[in-house]
This record gives sequence, C-alpha cells and structure tokens, in this order.
Amino acid sequence: MHGTNAADSGIATRPDRKASAKTVVWDIGVRGFHWSLVVVVATAAATGFLAPEWWLDIHVWAGYAVGILIVFRVVWAFYGSFHARLSSFLFSPNDTLRYLRALLRGKPQHFTGHNPAGALMVFALFVLLSALLVSGLMVLGGQENQGMLSGIVAYDAGHGARVFHELLSILLLFLIGAHILGVVAESLLCKENLAGAMLTGRKNRRSASTHPVPGTASPRRALLAIAVIAAAGGTAISALARMPASGLVEMPGNAVYLAECGDCHHAYHPSLLPASSWRRIMTGLPDHFGEDASLGRQTARELATYLAAYAAERWDTEAANNLRRVAARDPLRITAAPYWTARHKDIAKAVFAGKTIGSKGNCIACHADAATGRFDDQMIAVPEKQISQKATWRQQ
Amino acid sequence: MKLSFAPLAAALFLTAIAPASAGPDQDSVLTYFQQRADSAASPERGKSLFEARHGGGKPQTPSCTSCHGGTPSETGKTRAGKEIAPMALSRTPQRFSDLKKVEKWFRRNCNSVLGRECTAQEKSDFLAFMMSQ
Repeated sequence: MHGTNAADSGIATRPDRKASAKTVVWDIGVRGFHWSLVVVVATAAATGFLAPEWWLDIHVWAGYAVGILIVFRVVWAFYGSFHARLSSFLFSPNDTLRYLRALLRGKPQHFTGHNPAGALMVFALFVLLSALLVSGLMVLGGQENQGMLSGIVAYDAGHGARVFHELLSILLLFLIGAHILGVVAESLLCKENLAGAMLTGRKNRRSASTHPVPGTASPRRALLAIAVIAAAGGTAISALARMPASGLVEMPGNAVYLAECGDCHHAYHPSLLPASSWRRIMTGLPDHFGEDASLGRQTARELATYLAAYAAERWDTEAANNLRRVAARDPLRITAAPYWTARHKDIAKAVFAGKTIGSKGNCIACHADAATGRFDDQMIAVPEKQISQKATWRQQ
Repeated sequence: MKLSFAPLAAALFLTAIAPASAGPDQDSVLTYFQQRADSAASPERGKSLFEARHGGGKPQTPSCTSCHGGTPSETGKTRAGKEIAPMALSRTPQRFSDLKKVEKWFRRNCNSVLGRECTAQEKSDFLAFMMSQ
C-alpha cells in the first residue's frame, strides 16, 4: 500500500522469506478485542458523561463488557499468536528510552508488533480500565446498592469511589486522545496505516523487529484458561451477588401507615427523614403542612414509633444518607432538604404541577420504586419530559 | 343493590334523600347523623356547604372544592398531588360506609376548611347531598 521495501528500512534485518511483504501481525483475537473495546468504552463514556440517570443499566453493562474483554485479553497475552503475547511487547526501560529519543528525532525505529511507546499505552489503558471497572462497581454497590459489591460496600465508600471514577474517566479521555495521536504520528513517521492494520491485521514486516517469526496461537488453551477463570469468577460473583444490599434494612410493611398517611399523599418511605423530623411531624398533625391531619392518640403513637424506628438514621441508602440533613428553616419537609432541591433544581415547576405529577411530594409519579426507599436511577421516568437536558445527566 | 348509574340517571335522584344507590351501610351512617341533627337532612343545604368559600379555616383550603373538584362527580386532588375519588356516591359506591372513617374526615376537613367542627346537621346535609349524586 505504501510502496515500501526492504531497502528503505535502512536497518539490517534477518533475511525473512518475504522481508517486505505484508503479513498478518494482529490476529483475530487482538483485532476483535481492540474494536470491541472501542465500541464498549464509547458506550460507557457516552452513557457516563451524557446520558440521563435512567440509562445507568447500559453504562453498567458496558462496564461488565470491559471486564470480560480485559479478562480475554490477559489470557490472549499468554496464548495468542506471537504479537498478541505479553512477551512480545515487554521492553526494558533502556529500550523504551532509546525508542522515545528516536521518536523525538522523528526517526522512530519500526516494530512489527507493538513499539515500546505503544506497549506503555497498552499497560496504561489496562490499569486505567481496570481501576474504572473496580471504582464503578464500588459506586454501584455503595451508592446505588446494586451490583455484585452491594453487599460489602458502604455508602460512604461508594460515594468516595465516585470521585475516583470520575477523575479516571477524564484521564481515560486524555489517554485515548494520546493513543490516537500516537497512532497517527507513527503511521506518518513509518508510512504505514496502523489503524488499517488493526482492521486487516496486516502490517509490513520490513523492520528490525527482534521477533521476525510470528508464533501461532493456542486457542484451545486460551479457551480452557477462560473457562477456569469464568468458573472461579462466576462462583465468586454469584456469592457476592447473593448477599443482601448492605444499605437496606428489613422493614415490615405497615398497613396503618399506608392507609392513614397514604390517603392524602404518597406514603413517604420512613428513611426519607431523620427521626427528629418524624417526631415533630407526629406531634404536629393537627396543623400538618396547613391541614388538619389529626389521628386518634393510639394510631398516632403507633405510627410515631414505626417512623422513628425506620428513620433515615437506620439506612445506608443514597436517599437516607443525603436526606438526613434537613433544611434548617423547614426541617419537616422532605422536598425542602438541600439534597432534594439540588437534585431536582433543573426540573421546571410546570413539570411538578402537570397533570400526572401534581406536586413535588408525589415521589412515585417519577420514581417507580419510591415506596421501597431505593430510588434507583433506572426507575426514574419523568412523565412530562420537559426536563432540561442539563438535569438529565447531572448525577450527583 | 345497584351500585352505579349513568350520570343522567343519577341526576334524577338529585332531590331524593338517601336514594337507592346507598346501601345499608351508608343508610346507617346517614341515620346516625340525622338522629343527632335538629331537622331533616337537606341535600340543597349540603350542596351549598360543599360549594361555599368559608374562610375561618386554613388559608390553603377555603372550600371543600379546593381539593374535591368543582362538583361531586369530579375526581379531586390533594395538595400533595394524590387523586381523590369523586365524592358522589354513584361514582364511588364504597364511600360513606364506615362511620369511623366518615367522622375522621369530617373532623379533619371541617377544621381545615371552616376552622371548627361541623354540626351533626351540616354532616347529615352534606351526606344527603353526596348520596344523592
């Protein structure tokens, strides 16, 4: 394609059978891995940076796919064909420095497989994607009480992991940019279309590659290794997945609460207010947000006990952790809490006033799982999608 | 016991006290209040009680219609956004069958709207009106 031949490589090569011919360098495993990773990472990035909360499932599945691809690639680094193998792109620091110096002079040495800078990029992306996967699972488990880590990661840990997840995701964008720049640079400097090579697998073999003869892959061994990892990983994951989410408390249903309080408004989950607020609400029922909601003494006492027992302090969910902090001026009103107002601030008043919602307090109109106190991102469906784009992807 | 009527048919019962749509439970609830009232239940007085703007209660709820919709056959909405089944017995046949529940809501809502308890006369007028609807 580029009309290069053995003469212009300028470096003595071992006399290969076809020194300048195109050969399959990237086997189907490497190519399939690479472009699958492109698709999956693009999906994860698009849903993570841009999509509304209720697309969380797609983001999570993209994350799982990244994990599966990484496992495959690690196995393939031992059982793939020659240039797929880790041993073919392990360079000493000296080799790497020498390559980088040559690159800066604009005359990088040509490598049939990964060059030392490309190898560094492979390792960096591997580490970064693994860290993104782990931190993402921690956010999912700790903050959302979902996924395989929901049984062992507390809210605070998940919330902290979120900071890392976000920083790493930005770092990933930079690394992807650097990767593309590197490919373009080397393609120009070595007059070889590297992106095309990753599609066809074929590259020029004209260089001082220290490994002139490609080895063959051992797909059967790879398959066996993958089966062993899948069995072990699957067992561990299913054991983790069976653990109850650590943030949730087993709470008996309370028919009296649902009937008495649910007659006028959504029967708010007890975890949405701290015990002190519930106590004040239950002693102030004759003037309950501007209405008489008085109850018989016995019923009132019974409900007060129930609400205080399962108040926000008892739970480690996203909602309970954040709604424990009430508004100083309006401590009884869930929709006045700083967290509540921050999360809903981009939703127009008209949306709340709309026919299907009616009021800010009608949680269940948009949060299908409001009665459980979970408020999963995936369960959000605003009936009137007049919600601004900004609000949809702000995941606090 | 017939539980539902076409709206037109229901209109025929406008003036009737305790019409055929009221079951035995509703009858006994109405009787309870009538026995304590000074005069016979009047659906007309019940209608004006329902529609009037009272004042004296809480500013958010000047009238029954603030939440219950303009007419008994309309679906209402609480200030918190929850739907309230129509007050008219023909539209919500299970209404007014539980004395304790009826008393609870009179206690609360009379206080919210009028700022006081309702009299037995007002309650029986109100029920007579709703049962005629």
